Amino acid sequence: MKKILLSMVLASAVIATPAMSETVRIGTEGAYAPYNYVDDNGKLAGYEIDLGNALCAEAGLTCEFVANEWDSIIPNLVAGNYDAIMAGMSITDERKQTINFSEEYYPSEPSKYAAAAGMSFDMMSLSGKKIGVQGATIQAAYAEEHFGANNTIMSFKTFDDSVADLAAGNLDLLLADGDPLNPVIEASAGALAFVGEGVRIGGGVGIGMRKDDTDLAVKMNAAIAALKANGTVDKLIKEYFDNGPFYAQ
Amino acid sequence: MLETLPDWLSGLFSEDVRSSLAYITNGKHLAWYASIRFTLIAAIGGATVAVLFGLVGAALKQSRIMPFKLIGDFYTTIVRGVPDVLFILFFPLAFEQAVEYFLARSVCEPEVLAAATQWPPCEAAQWFLTTTDYLIMACVSLGIVYGAFAANVIHGAMQAVPKGQLEAAAAYGFTPRQVFWRFKVRQMWVYALPGLSNVWMLLLKATSLLSLLQIADIVQWAARLGSANYYSRVGLVHPDWRWKYYLVLFVFFIVMTMLSERFFAALQARASRGMSLAGSD
Amino acid sequence: MEAILQSAFVQDIATLARPALFNLYFALASIPVGFPLAVLLALGKASRFKIISRLSRGYIYAFRGSPLFIQFFMFYSMMLALNQAYLKPWGIDGVVLHPLFLGPMVLVLNTSAYGAEIFYGALKTVPKGEVEAASAMGMGRWSVFRSVTWPNMLRLAWPAYTNEMVFLFHATTLVYFTLPVVNEQKDLMNKAGELFERDYNVFLHFSVAALYFLVLSILIFWLAGLVHKRLNQHLTGRAEKIRFKPGYIR
Repeated sequence: MKKILLSMVLASAVIATPAMSETVRIGTEGAYAPYNYVDDNGKLAGYEIDLGNALCAEAGLTCEFVANEWDSIIPNLVAGNYDAIMAGMSITDERKQTINFSEEYYPSEPSKYAAAAGMSFDMMSLSGKKIGVQGATIQAAYAEEHFGANNTIMSFKTFDDSVADLAAGNLDLLLADGDPLNPVIEASAGALAFVGEGVRIGGGVGIGMRKDDTDLAVKMNAAIAALKANGTVDKLIKEYFDNGPFYAQ
Repeated sequence: MLETLPDWLSGLFSEDVRSSLAYITNGKHLAWYASIRFTLIAAIGGATVAVLFGLVGAALKQSRIMPFKLIGDFYTTIVRGVPDVLFILFFPLAFEQAVEYFLARSVCEPEVLAAATQWPPCEAAQWFLTTTDYLIMACVSLGIVYGAFAANVIHGAMQAVPKGQLEAAAAYGFTPRQVFWRFKVRQMWVYALPGLSNVWMLLLKATSLLSLLQIADIVQWAARLGSANYYSRVGLVHPDWRWKYYLVLFVFFIVMTMLSERFFAALQARASRGMSLAGSD
Repeated sequence: MEAILQSAFVQDIATLARPALFNLYFALASIPVGFPLAVLLALGKASRFKIISRLSRGYIYAFRGSPLFIQFFMFYSMMLALNQAYLKPWGIDGVVLHPLFLGPMVLVLNTSAYGAEIFYGALKTVPKGEVEAASAMGMGRWSVFRSVTWPNMLRLAWPAYTNEMVFLFHATTLVYFTLPVVNEQKDLMNKAGELFERDYNVFLHFSVAALYFLVLSILIFWLAGLVHKRLNQHLTGRAEKIRFKPGYIR
């Protein structure tokens, strides 16, 4: 019995092995426009999808994007469900303890606060406020550290969920990356607004990879450098983020 | 999708209706409708595994050999003592790690293996899980959980088979094994059907948990479709419509339950032809 | 001794003790409301008034026929949609949308449907002779209900209702899979998942969480068993004991 079980386990493992080397699988969230999203055709699209494909073409790799929920995106990289993360993930020292990052492919941008229009807050001494963040983000860690003691921090599964609660009036403040927030504020037709100063929390956005996967890191870094040099990265930033920030001066 | 309709047909609709029709037949919605396959595969696959586990579990439970009986009772009790979500999340992770453990022992260099501080010990021992793998594992874990339910139903149904019939079979010279398989198991189904139909309903509802295994199922797509969109590049700009999509799912499952009830009622009527089943419902 | 206390297993038991309270809270907050509601719905389903009977039947069917997982998502997003127009003006949005309120609310809606089906089944099996005898003695409808139907129904339904309470306790795991997490309010599954993401030790963390569920389930069975004994006090020797034997029908 034990032998049968063992050979069954090994057999299934062998079947699974061929998938390992050929295609590089890139995990993304698919719910973080304009970085990555599911378009009306039901396909993954966005800055990171286009850039990822360009990087893979440059590095001579075959790539495939897979969607994975944000809160388990690092564990599932480590568990090996995909080989790389391109999901608007900022490079931070804390994440570096678990995974490896490539050079950044999107510059560091300040995080911003959004609230119902007409509200004003004293960011230095917030208290008794309901502050929304997406779970497992740099903003979540920041809010916990700075406002956790005197305020209620609500963490949501997706960025969309947190915006929905803000729009429905269930949050006083939402702390999130500025880029996905921009279209929200614009489309809210004056109902929502940015408040206070932005805060610079994390580094730029980079590709997350497993620590022992050094081959891929070398290839990706070379590809990023090449695409930055030939202007492809800036072209894509222009396409998706309109007015920068760009790498070329 | 809508463009494929002939002009005379699409001309019948007003502009509003046409744009709504175009919206609910765009690629994103089609992906949602198509994702029903995951639900159905998990339900049917899970049910098949559950019946297998149920038969084995019931056989163990009524075994006269003490360790077997203990295993059967242990299985049905433990699985029911913990929430199904816990098991559905636990099983794929545990199975993956077990595979990687054996894989690591055969493919990793011994010195790497000894020095390893992380999991899995070496890159070659990574087992990549795709949606198909997760779906198979979802079927197995649903099967194990609801197999424990089915085991109890089948165990009870076997007790309900009239003893006289089994004795008659034995008297005709059938071996105990033949009596068990050809008489007890064959007849048991009629008594087990009402209970198994109930287990099926539970299993069907549990398939809504597939998104927890990173399978883009109907619940996941409903969230993607319903979430507000502020970005015209992504598609139609609209506010938070999630509750509408969840309401559709709510109704979808109720309809599935109704259909299942009909199906099992017909099956029951067919299975119990020529049997007097006074006292069973 | 020191070594045992420092072992990862014991540490996990300590870490998961607070999260376990959240699961207990959700169950304990739901049962006292879900129980009377279930009885009312069962009586409604058995009512002679067509409208009441149809409505109760439909409610029970809908909530038993759809997954709790979706009910959670649906009610949270519905409440959010109603917030600006209805909840905020009354100043109740902070309470209603809080997982500690909305969680039990949806659990109540769900468990009352399952409970109602159980009580309805018991209602149908209340010995007719006893009801007729009571009426013949000139008791009014309310008195008959209070002194004959009700105790019989409760006694007959109790073992199945015990199961329902355990199911409900297990269902509390879904709250934080579907609703936002407030501060450090995390339940067993949530916390076990978080611990898993730190060291990938799935066997340890999930086993300890499972152990908590198992032990607390046994506790619920034991407490319900005490009630069962009381309900059957008058039936000398006829009462079947409730053992830890989770039911298989919900």
